[in-house]
Amino acid sequence: MATRAAGAVVPDHVPPSLVRDFSYFRGPEMEPTPCGHPQAALSFVHREGPAIFYAPNNTYDGRGTWVFTKAEDQRAVLNNTEVFSSNRGIFKAALGEDLPMVPLEVDPPDHMKFRALLNPLLSPRRVDAMEAGARERAVRLIEGFKAKGTCEVMNDFAFPFAVGVFLQFLGVSDDRRDEFLGWANEQFHGTLEQRLNAMRTVVDFMKSLIALRRREPADDFVSFLLAAEVEGRPLTDKEILGVAVLLFEAGLDTVAAAVGFDLYHLATHPEDQQRLRGDKDLIKPAVEELFRAYSTIQMLRTAVCDFEYKGIPIRAGDLISCPTMIANRDPAEFPDPDRIDLARDNNRHTAFAYGPHRCLGSHLARRELIVGLEEFLARIPTFRLKAGSSPITYGGYVFGIENLDLAWD
Amino acid sequence: MKIKVHHGMCQGHARCYSLAPDIFQLDDSGYILPGDIAVPAGQETLAQRGARSCPERALEVAED
Repeated sequence: MATRAAGAVVPDHVPPSLVRDFSYFRGPEMEPTPCGHPQAALSFVHREGPAIFYAPNNTYDGRGTWVFTKAEDQRAVLNNTEVFSSNRGIFKAALGEDLPMVPLEVDPPDHMKFRALLNPLLSPRRVDAMEAGARERAVRLIEGFKAKGTCEVMNDFAFPFAVGVFLQFLGVSDDRRDEFLGWANEQFHGTLEQRLNAMRTVVDFMKSLIALRRREPADDFVSFLLAAEVEGRPLTDKEILGVAVLLFEAGLDTVAAAVGFDLYHLATHPEDQQRLRGDKDLIKPAVEELFRAYSTIQMLRTAVCDFEYKGIPIRAGDLISCPTMIANRDPAEFPDPDRIDLARDNNRHTAFAYGPHRCLGSHLARRELIVGLEEFLARIPTFRLKAGSSPITYGGYVFGIENLDLAWD
Repeated sequence: MKIKVHHGMCQGHARCYSLAPDIFQLDDSGYILPGDIAVPAGQETLAQRGARSCPERALEVAED
């Protein structure tokens, strides 16, 4: 007989001693919190243990997950793709449409053929070539609000910047930016109904874009996918759609959230802001440290068979959560993990995940953050939180920040 | 100083290239090129920092 804890079902095979009342959605500082620090708030798991526990109600739709807190254990899960599948059928669950996001929801060995196709498009060297466009975009946005002496980072900078770079990559004209911003906002921050509508809208947009490029090829991403082959055959429409939808899902909210958290940190840690202003070479390592300290995603895997890990009984169908924000504050991995040291050495963080599914867009995301911070620091004088304002932070599936009002003299 | 490259362990994080693009060379897909790297004089600290940030531990710092 399964037992209940915190209003949710605990499966029979889970030892009661490993059940913890833990949630990315409702725990301390996980719900929208003024001036919160959701990543730091989760650090307690390293002090209280156990290293692997079961949280009965830890998903958007009320399911339980195992939570792996140690970096070493997360690496073991993320490298074992035969037991821990990445295919969760996110769009099938939401829209009833069999639309795996490619390659995230495709497990090895098939995964590798899509990665081999896509890796060169988002390689560090390719990103070098995209840098000038991203920088121009950042400069234009910053110059737009500089004279006001104030800005709201998320709407004035983070989202327009991330969405603009995404549209440029997709080969879609910038005049659709506001439309995309609206979809992104509704999908990631709206009510359930808004979320589903926005997901449907994004899928329909990508479908029409694929149909258009099939009729009128151009020098752009979708045309590349239409001409590409895996194992000697063209990609199916569903596969192309899966790639395009994944780009939207993975590349917008995450980059914007990182921009927000980083500027929030620099606004509230003037000594770090001064340090970066005085040493431009420090920006690259600093961006890595800020990725570590303000990681925003968790990897979720589904066990496809029964498996015992370090004495923990995992059953087929169990969800395993590998939160980057927890692994990246693991004291076994990082000395003094809650201290943010912009020059931290040996910074083996996993903000972009680990194993075969390592974030395909990580190189572009990293460059967006570097360029964004470089230009912000170069053009905006010493900035601080605007008097009387409270940035609202939140946990959840992707950690984020709703608003960030800054001011400068 | 030399960096030993354990090529088979590279998963393409490119953390090394991000910190020191002149020292760590990548292929078109973003993976480290095989072969040990002789670090130019004066760039030891940067090379060490790049090597130590590798999540896969694919880069090993070795003195000559």
